[in-house]
Amino acid sequence: MPQPRILICLVFSYVIAFPAMAFQASDTALLPRSTTAEALRFIRETGHLDSSAHWPHIRPGSFLENLKINILTPLVLYQGSNTNFCGYAALSYPLLHDDPLGYARFMLALYHDGKASWGKIFFKPSEGIKQAAGTLRFKGVLDIRPADQLWFLLLADHFKGYLNFFNHHYDPGDENTFWAAMNYGKFNRIINRLLSYKVEARGTDLIRPDIPQLYEYLSNCLKTGITFLYVNNTFLHKKDHGTKFGFPTHFLVLTDISQSGDTLTITYWDYGGRSLKQVSTAFLKKILFGVTHCTKN
Amino acid sequence: MRNNISYLTFFLAVIAIIALTLGSCATVNVTNYYSRHRPVLDSIESTYKAAYREKPFSIEFTERSFNRISLELMTDSLKYIYEFDLGEGRMRDTLLKYGFDDHAISVLIGQMRSVHCAWVNNLDYYVNEDKRWMVYISIWPQAFNFPFVNKRYNILTYFSQPQYFDDQGRLMTGRRIRRIRKINSEVFRRINDTVCYTSSDRFR
Repeated sequence: MPQPRILICLVFSYVIAFPAMAFQASDTALLPRSTTAEALRFIRETGHLDSSAHWPHIRPGSFLENLKINILTPLVLYQGSNTNFCGYAALSYPLLHDDPLGYARFMLALYHDGKASWGKIFFKPSEGIKQAAGTLRFKGVLDIRPADQLWFLLLADHFKGYLNFFNHHYDPGDENTFWAAMNYGKFNRIINRLLSYKVEARGTDLIRPDIPQLYEYLSNCLKTGITFLYVNNTFLHKKDHGTKFGFPTHFLVLTDISQSGDTLTITYWDYGGRSLKQVSTAFLKKILFGVTHCTKN
Repeated sequence: MRNNISYLTFFLAVIAIIALTLGSCATVNVTNYYSRHRPVLDSIESTYKAAYREKPFSIEFTERSFNRISLELMTDSLKYIYEFDLGEGRMRDTLLKYGFDDHAISVLIGQMRSVHCAWVNNLDYYVNEDKRWMVYISIWPQAFNFPFVNKRYNILTYFSQPQYFDDQGRLMTGRRIRRIRKINSEVFRRINDTVCYTSSDRFR
């Protein structure tokens, strides 16, 4: 009979090691692929939007304007300063590029009815979310983007991982806390379920993946699908000069990589825009905790 | 045994008094610091604002020695993040390549170094859905830092318009809606109508 402490260790190791196992999408329901023009036409045909009783703090004009911005320029999607929404923003990147019409339909259904389905997933946001959407402030441009506030709060409210265990219910200000935190397994699970992509994940929340030919591996990933990196952002985007801990904290979308000697030039999307940075291979290995490679089914 | 406990209590009390004294000094120090270095700090703000208007960028000193900088150069499609040692020739080449004002940026770097400025950037904020800008200047902590204790950066924000404050000098969102405006999750206090300060464990 194993000791309870050993059992806890076993369960914990399973939880953090689970994402390391490459897995295939089981959901066969393919999302309808669509174009920007179709999505804009759909919004135009919707016409005037009245206030919604479900979302008392969302102004309809700002909501529609926000949807149009996301459809026309998905790269500007911004998770807000000092929130824990980076994972949700990262996984919205392929969604907005791939199926803007599906996104527009879903958001308008959610606005009108206070609940909506995306593929096989049924979203019924909690009352706290309905009250909070449209009220988040001092988060940069997210302040004036009510649809993005709704979208991020909805995803964080619906999908839960072990990091959210002690803070399951939304209270004002929780967008900055563990309530909104995203672990690697949860991230891969959401992509798999929401986008019906085939997901191949290497890495964990605590232990870095062993990828000897990192440049070659990432280059191949970029050639065949969408690539997300799970990184320790305290090194990549320093906010202080204090002692750093070796934990991953940030998701970004890798869009390009090139190599010159030992220097890698990476281009990635996060915080509402694309950035180009030169790093050494050793540095990238040091900050990299996960590589998620997604291909369409 | 009782003696040991008394010594321990005394020791903890002294530590607490020192910590409280240093903490309250930090508040005074930012305003003093601003008064002392006002010409340079104001010049950093005006030079940066003018250069940013031409082409947006930010400058960070990555090390306490103030010999290495990180430049974020914003273009229409991409933000380029490069690190350089001071005086490195390729910095000027890079700035010219992307059409930045290398003279203004060199002047700024010199001014920032002289007042131990860690970072300068333009941040957006919103008043009634209108976008506005402030210049955000982080000063490297000068006081003694305990190991494993987060450094506190002194932050100055320069607004283009006069701001609203409560009777404790805290930055507010407006005249009618009396709500404390937070920037980077921090509460800011008044130095004058357009300049505020705070102390933060993050420089950005």
